[in-house]
Amino acid sequence: IMVQTRGCLLKEVHLNVTDLGLGYQTKEELIFRYCSGPCVEAETNYDKILNNLTHNKKLDKDTPSRTCCRPIAFDDDLSFLDDNVVYHTLKKHSARKCGCV
Amino acid sequence: SRGATGLYFPQNEYIETVYVGQQAGTPILQVHAMLDSDSERPHFYLCWAVSHRHPYSSWFNLDINTGILSLNKTLEESDFALLNQKSPFVMKLSLKAMVLPYFTKKPQCNSRSFFRITLDFVNATMPQCAQTDMKELCFPHRDTSNPHIMENRFPGPLRQLRRLTRLNVCPNYTISYNVDPDTPAPFAVNENTTELVVTAPLDREESERYRLLLVCTVRTETVITKVETSLDVFVNDEDDNAPYVNGTDTADIIISFNRTKGGSFGTLFIFDRDLTPIYPIDQSHNKYVGTLLNSDPWVKETFAIKGTFSEKKAAYGGIRMTVHDYQLVLKRNLYVTENRTLQLDYLVNDTTYPGLEGTVLLHFNVTILPVHIRFPNITHMFTLTRRASVYAQVGRVCVENCQQFDGISVTYRLEVPDKNVSADMQTCYSAISITQAPDEMWGLLYVNDTEALHRPECQDLQYLVVAQEEHTQLEASTQIHIILDSEANKASQENQQFLSCAENRRRGDCESVRGLGATTGRCQWRQGSEKGISENYSTCSPDLRTCPDSFCDAVESKDTSICPQDCTKETVTGGHERGLRNGIQAGYGTCYCYSERCFCEKEDIEEPICDDMCKTIIATAL
Repeated sequence: IMVQTRGCLLKEVHLNVTDLGLGYQTKEELIFRYCSGPCVEAETNYDKILNNLTHNKKLDKDTPSRTCCRPIAFDDDLSFLDDNVVYHTLKKHSARKCGCV
Repeated sequence: SRGATGLYFPQNEYIETVYVGQQAGTPILQVHAMLDSDSERPHFYLCWAVSHRHPYSSWFNLDINTGILSLNKTLEESDFALLNQKSPFVMKLSLKAMVLPYFTKKPQCNSRSFFRITLDFVNATMPQCAQTDMKELCFPHRDTSNPHIMENRFPGPLRQLRRLTRLNVCPNYTISYNVDPDTPAPFAVNENTTELVVTAPLDREESERYRLLLVCTVRTETVITKVETSLDVFVNDEDDNAPYVNGTDTADIIISFNRTKGGSFGTLFIFDRDLTPIYPIDQSHNKYVGTLLNSDPWVKETFAIKGTFSEKKAAYGGIRMTVHDYQLVLKRNLYVTENRTLQLDYLVNDTTYPGLEGTVLLHFNVTILPVHIRFPNITHMFTLTRRASVYAQVGRVCVENCQQFDGISVTYRLEVPDKNVSADMQTCYSAISITQAPDEMWGLLYVNDTEALHRPECQDLQYLVVAQEEHTQLEASTQIHIILDSEANKASQENQQFLSCAENRRRGDCESVRGLGATTGRCQWRQGSEKGISENYSTCSPDLRTCPDSFCDAVESKDTSICPQDCTKETVTGGHERGLRNGIQAGYGTCYCYSERCFCEKEDIEEPICDDMCKTIIATAL
């Protein structure tokens, strides 16, 4: 179940494709959108119980995942030409919609 | 002269400007038709569509004999208003005209034989002499289309140089024209009529284009002014050259390993100094027709001749010409047993050439050699460690010359040489299997059953590889000998799970894993060295000789976990270039795969040192 909250928001930043650290060499740029913010409002009893068990060290080494702010839909594919005039297409690289999941 | 003849237009468009206040009877421009003989007389007609007559259709008159277009009426400001104009300043009037070699009362313009006259009707009176530039007096502001003259035709006038609308603008000026004599060309100006004249029949094979420099001399009482403009005259082609062979008209062809349908052999060239237009498509100008002269039905169902042509520039003079090339093409796959020699004669006819020698005969001397399906006369020995994993590649076999085969299909199978062996030994033979990709000639030997490899009673293994040709069912066989290189080890007999090598992201993990398809039993690490996205990316493989090599072979395609780097069909995450068919062609950093999902990424082992610039950025951010 995904819950939309006020805390988890879609933000954007203007980047060069080289900033993505994927190894592509190109002068092209993009708008990268990402999800960020707290997911406290979306927590359930399950999360509270997990929180308590972890805090009281009842689950030895296990630290189960908590609710977190993640993309629930991605932007359209991004195509660009690299310095060797080869086309590349990035899929699922930027968020369109965020949610606490 | 040759080919189709008749009146033709040296240009199919004329442009001029008309003004309010121009008097009835004023000449506007003169059109020309090129003649084919001295006795021919052109008759010019304006043509009007019966269905939609323009309101301006009666304003103009085209002189039937001289081709001079003049005004039927004085142009008034109200005439301009009458037209449904879009612009308040200029209106385009479009006329069509045609030429016939005879007189007719009802000129009917068909779509192929008219030329266009476009008049810009300006809503103002014509500028006075003082306001008119010398250039404007001499030549139109925007030049009309370049003239085209047919080669081998009768000479004559092709263009009026005077601007007839400006004849009376500056009555005190004397205007004359000439062609600059520094660039010799068969063109001149008739001083009486101020027409540009072509003085001799032209030959396209000698010159395709003449660049004329037209000089206009304007004399006033005090000054002589010269204005120059260049004019390109193009020469149109007709089929006046016979085809010829430069060198040989015979190709000797040997067909052996390439027997595939569509395969082509030998090339014979035919040259033609004429052009072969490709547009319009239905044009037959200089198009060749070829006929296979053999009547043997076997020849007709087996061979065809494929002709193509291209344009090239002649070595001398750079004049364009046509090169036709003819190749022998197989219409079906030839059986490996087919064996014969024959001669094919092919007659090529330049159908539009009017002379007698418009044909060339080509000969293809064909020898079809049989292909023998046999193994090379060597002993096939392969070594294998007993630690090898399932799907480990042992080696590959292939019949003689198999790499050159095209249109021949050979399949391989393994047989046990001695059928009377004990049941115990029989199970040993399950250790090895053979497989083959549908479009590959090689048979790949691979480990099928590791349990058999571990059993001490399974010693060196001998098999018979049988190759069978698809159509003739011809068979050949060879013995192969697989030498197991270490002692059987009871401990390793326990049923082990094989993991996919490709899952390992680090050298240490990789080299300690018993991976699927691993020849030595252990996965192998490839350390990439290059920066950026490289074909030499770091990865963990069962056998670096076959994986990754950007090719998903017959063994690898049996299970996607063996070498997903070569075989994955799914989208790869991270910086990469996809392979031509499947797999990863190049990757960034290390590429690893879980099942078919592959990832390429660079692991930052060392933290980048924070320099002064970086410290400043952090400080500002805080």
